[in-house]
Amino acid sequence: MNVDDRSAWPDAPGAGPLGDGRYAAAVHRPTTVAELCEVVKAEAAAGGAVYPQGGRTGLDFGLPPARPGAAVDLTALADVVDYPHADMTITVRAGMTVAALQAILDEHNQRLLFEVPRADRATVGGALATGVCGPRRLGLGRPRDSIIGVSFVTAAGVEVKGGGRVVKNVAGYDFPKLLTGSLGSLGIITQATLKVRPRPAASALIWLTADRPEPLDARVAAFNTSSVRPTAIEILDPSASQALGGPVGLKGGSWTLIVGVEDDADSVAWQVDRFRREAGVDFDVLRDEASAPLWSALAAFQADDAPLACTASLRPSRIAAFLAGLRPGRWASQAHAGNGVVRMRGLGEWTEGEAAEAVDAARAAAVRDGGNLVVARCPTAWKPRLRVWGEPRGDWALGRKIKAALDPNGLMNPGRFAGEG
Amino acid sequence: MTATAAPTTIPLVRELAALLGEDGVLHRRDELVVYECDGYVIEKAVPDVVVFPTSTEQVVEVVKLCNQHDVPFVPRGAGTSLAGGTLPIGGGVMISLTRMKRIVEINARDRYAIVEAGVVNVWLTRALAGTGVHFAPDPSSQTACTIGGNVATNAGGPHTLKYGVTINHVRGVELVTPEGEVVQIGGVVEDQPGFDLTGLLVGSEGTFGIVTKVIVGLCRDPEAGRTLLAVFPTVEDSVEAVSGIVAAGIVPAALEMIDNLMIRAVEAAFHFGFPVEAGAVLIIEVDGVDAALDHEAQAISEIVQAHGGTIDKAIGWRTREEPEYKAIWKARKMAFGAIGRVSPTFCTQDGVVPRTALPHILRFMEGVSERTNIRIANVFHAGDGNLHPIILFDEQDPDQVKRALQASHEILDECIRLGGSVTGEHGIGVEKLAMMPKLFTPDDLAAMTAVHDALNPDNRCSPAKKIPVGGHCIERTSPGRRAPA
Repeated sequence: MNVDDRSAWPDAPGAGPLGDGRYAAAVHRPTTVAELCEVVKAEAAAGGAVYPQGGRTGLDFGLPPARPGAAVDLTALADVVDYPHADMTITVRAGMTVAALQAILDEHNQRLLFEVPRADRATVGGALATGVCGPRRLGLGRPRDSIIGVSFVTAAGVEVKGGGRVVKNVAGYDFPKLLTGSLGSLGIITQATLKVRPRPAASALIWLTADRPEPLDARVAAFNTSSVRPTAIEILDPSASQALGGPVGLKGGSWTLIVGVEDDADSVAWQVDRFRREAGVDFDVLRDEASAPLWSALAAFQADDAPLACTASLRPSRIAAFLAGLRPGRWASQAHAGNGVVRMRGLGEWTEGEAAEAVDAARAAAVRDGGNLVVARCPTAWKPRLRVWGEPRGDWALGRKIKAALDPNGLMNPGRFAGEG
Repeated sequence: MTATAAPTTIPLVRELAALLGEDGVLHRRDELVVYECDGYVIEKAVPDVVVFPTSTEQVVEVVKLCNQHDVPFVPRGAGTSLAGGTLPIGGGVMISLTRMKRIVEINARDRYAIVEAGVVNVWLTRALAGTGVHFAPDPSSQTACTIGGNVATNAGGPHTLKYGVTINHVRGVELVTPEGEVVQIGGVVEDQPGFDLTGLLVGSEGTFGIVTKVIVGLCRDPEAGRTLLAVFPTVEDSVEAVSGIVAAGIVPAALEMIDNLMIRAVEAAFHFGFPVEAGAVLIIEVDGVDAALDHEAQAISEIVQAHGGTIDKAIGWRTREEPEYKAIWKARKMAFGAIGRVSPTFCTQDGVVPRTALPHILRFMEGVSERTNIRIANVFHAGDGNLHPIILFDEQDPDQVKRALQASHEILDECIRLGGSVTGEHGIGVEKLAMMPKLFTPDDLAAMTAVHDALNPDNRCSPAKKIPVGGHCIERTSPGRRAPA
């Protein structure tokens, strides 16, 4: 395979978007892994770069593409490789959409353990590359906790695997975890094996409001002694509460604690009742099918098209103080309160200066607590000033060594990931 | 045999003693021989020096000295590795972390603890009693093994079926790199931007540096549990029941199998009350919210009975501190210690198969036992498909040793053929390096080697472990007494 000149960025629309206002010089849609390997070798020989793409739901995530190159569309690699459902594992190709994967699991009343917004478009490979997850991470873990095997095509144009198809395996280095969340910068994920679990029989979402965030924090802390075992604990600020509550018929607009429980019907009923007694207050409850739209909305909050969005990580005990410190009316915020993750969506118009000031202040608070703040979305021109990957970390130096070892010429998604900017 | 270290290492010993004090350094041959192997006894290698640093700063200085003198170094915790993970291939300096044993911080509210690498697994469990949270990994060696060692091997234990293995409960580590730099990887906060280096480090068997501190995540204790002892006429019946439980969509907290040979050994040693006539027993545990557990226990009982089993004991519990609960798990975890009554030498294997392939692999192992005329006992994590066949032999009989190794290899080859792995939790160590090319292609291994060489460029840190890397392969046969293969 020969490819054209890769020395200059093509004008819009090129062969399609790469994100951040850059366009691809070509788009390849391999139908086999062998073909994908040839594409990578050809682009490497031409001195270009390779930008893997799935459902294109996260093209603007990270720093701008650094060098002209080709998009590689993985959506033709979308089949199930193996689904031994009684083993509770599934192996699929990376280009399968998350919704298609879930539909296959539905046949055996099983489910994926991490939540992916825009699942009808987002692919398994893309979800793993970005490490996306939602409120159920408290009870079910992150993608890194689900993945047990991975195959990926390296910059050398060969397919490499790590892990395997069994749930316990310590042979070789843990490439499944190294690749998860690496944003395609180490290689193109072609296949993954994931742990899956039975779908619980019953579900409930408790919706409890307060005038201030602090009392909600006390309720979160009380879960360390409570008899309730939630799958999710969320805090919404009044703006987020308004946005999520209204569509499901709940009164939003206040500080809101959401507690999700999933188990068999007796357990869920008992836990809701128990929480009522422990909390000593009344609240709204959405049960079973009626809870599904709110579960989905909580997972999808991060995928809104707001021009400015951030994700802060900090200790769970600092969540309420962090939320209280944000300027009212400028953010709609959702916290995965049991995990210390805050998803912030900018409200209204922002200038770069205002955004930089707000991001710096919020980031400083997170960093003081041992965490960080990543800018999930902002205009491309603001990215350098807003430092989208947050405060640089000491361990990025090791990450750069790994990147140099697996991708010495910077072929794979160059420029985009943490530590590269 | 001399009573002092080899002449080439004398200047290094002097410098190490100046750094750590005389009581922080062992270098006499008679002192070193204790460290010639760990729980894997088939290969042996004596280190030139063993050091006992008490701080990260001291580890850094030791590593720098090793680099200056160009000698290999290897970390060691309690030495419970069953795969030779702490074997000092090529000699050099063994860095024992057992004096770094402080629990630095426990934060139940934010569900983490920071411990030094030498903290014994069960010490943290005890320190957390009454806080409402616990550290989930609970290997059978938990009364001895260190959390640093758990990190090195990505250790498991019976309760990993529901709660996951060590990596699912580690948020970060403090690493002394092979060059002697201190790097904080991950942190107390769950999400950190950048590669998941914690995910890569855990299970890397010391090949990326020396872990000096570990930030572990803590799980909320279950509200209640049920632990059932199910008795079966045959091993086949028991593993059919395991497959049935998993296929029914039940996710027990633990699901362990003990066969007749092991039941007898455990009974002789501990008199727990296991039925010695049983072909096999299963310990089946479900936990969570009490309201759900009777249904689950009932469903399990029905599956057990459908496979010819009976429920011999059913313990309902609120905490894992209840005496009856502790007794049953003590019997399970001490099983390896009881095997000495049955055989002079044994080798514990560690293979993994898809859970639904358990009946097949058990039948296969019976065939291996008959063909090689070697007894094989079984006590393992059935719910994970993680086998621990215990190969019984007499190490004084070369022919038995040969047949024991043949039995091991046949079982592991079958695990690979079934889509499984040659190690679920013990590690590759030195024992299984030769099996890596059976699991991975040359391209897979080249990528792993590239990552290894990027972080451990001189291969001085834990040489000849985890992945087959060139360079030290030639040296590895000289210091140890390899069993005939």
